[in-house]
Amino acid sequence: MNATGSTPITSPFSLIAELTHRCPLHCLYCSNPLALQGAENELSTADWKRVFAQAGRLGVLHLHLTGGEPLVRGDLVELVSAARDSGLYVNMITSGVGLKEDRLSALVDAGLEHLQLSFQDQDEAAANHVAGARAHALKLALVPIIRKFPLALTVNLVVHRMNLDRLPEFIAMAEEMGPDRLEIAHVQYYGWALKNRSLLMPSEEQVHRSIAVVEAAKQRLKGRIHLESVVPDYFGSFPKACVGGWGRQTILIDPIGQALPCHAAAVIPNLVFDNVRRQDLAWIWQESPAFQRFRGDAWMSATCLACPRKEHDFGGCRCQAFLLTGDAEAIDPVCTYSPHHSLLQTLRGQTPELLPIWRG
Amino acid sequence: MDMNSIPALAPGCRLHPTQDVLLVPEGTLQLGGPTRDVLARVDGAHSVTAIVDQLLLEYEGADATEVRTDVLELLAGLEQRGVVRAQR
Repeated sequence: MNATGSTPITSPFSLIAELTHRCPLHCLYCSNPLALQGAENELSTADWKRVFAQAGRLGVLHLHLTGGEPLVRGDLVELVSAARDSGLYVNMITSGVGLKEDRLSALVDAGLEHLQLSFQDQDEAAANHVAGARAHALKLALVPIIRKFPLALTVNLVVHRMNLDRLPEFIAMAEEMGPDRLEIAHVQYYGWALKNRSLLMPSEEQVHRSIAVVEAAKQRLKGRIHLESVVPDYFGSFPKACVGGWGRQTILIDPIGQALPCHAAAVIPNLVFDNVRRQDLAWIWQESPAFQRFRGDAWMSATCLACPRKEHDFGGCRCQAFLLTGDAEAIDPVCTYSPHHSLLQTLRGQTPELLPIWRG
Repeated sequence: MDMNSIPALAPGCRLHPTQDVLLVPEGTLQLGGPTRDVLARVDGAHSVTAIVDQLLLEYEGADATEVRTDVLELLAGLEQRGVVRAQR
């Protein structure tokens, strides 16, 4: 696939393990695909242990246990332990719903190193509205329990049109929790979130103000809380280097064992995902056609081929290009050089939708 | 961070057993030069002074003032990044 400048494939940096699609929350901005996998088809404990061992040998450094809600898996402690034995750094992304101190203690003893807890708003009613569940108070109550353990805590604030005007208060709430890291992440319009795009997409003016708020917080919290922010989709002049470039840094395994280059890759037509039930992870990384599909630059438009930015953004996000233009090889429309760039201006100018669609 | 501080790695941060990287939440920090030797001695029990003394034993002939300055600078930078904490 690498027609020009055939670069050797280095080890993936991270493995995202979607242990299950089951989840107690029904977030409006859920990034999981529209069609969820049922519990009956999920990988077994032995499957995941084998995958973690293969990942360690492949040189993967970071493991992200996610879902759905990873706590739903009864074998989570065993999985964390196996991952650490395989040499992986273990992070868990959780809603926290249902997590009790004794289970957290067992997870930390097994080797859990980093926990990521997301919040939907600083206003309880608004937060529960977005999550489609009464989760806010449970999350708040969990923080002091988490802080008893030698575990890094990232608080993730998910922002969008409905809460962006309250960002200073939202950050103040997070600051009070004393996390090690704070992530301020704009909703990305993939999976279920795309259904609610018109409801969630902020105005230009909101985005503009939020950038200043985030920058001020970064300076203020320096040395105390490490702050990272994810810029909103659709507002830049140049695209993001999505997942660090297709098939360059990340492998995602979904609950039934399919290996994907990113969360959203299943939206792209005619991609076939190899399965860890049948293939070794190293083979998948090197050979799987889905991972090869947008490696290198052979697929790129003449515009991207000639552009020096291709070394930084790798042509932008393929899923976004497909979702907005119907062509997965198109220039990411976020790019100012895309013939479809005006699409985003149109979307930004639209009257926002007011009715939410929760996931079932 | 000063010479009397007792530095410790922040929760969720550890040296990779074989590669020259510090594993931190959501990332890695590349460890150039003698950084790994310094961080290997950051254990929440020894002061910066004690760490420098250990390093001077190891690096025979190194300039003590220079090592002190470099170690302090390195640890202060990592403290700003949130991956090392100074305790007293």
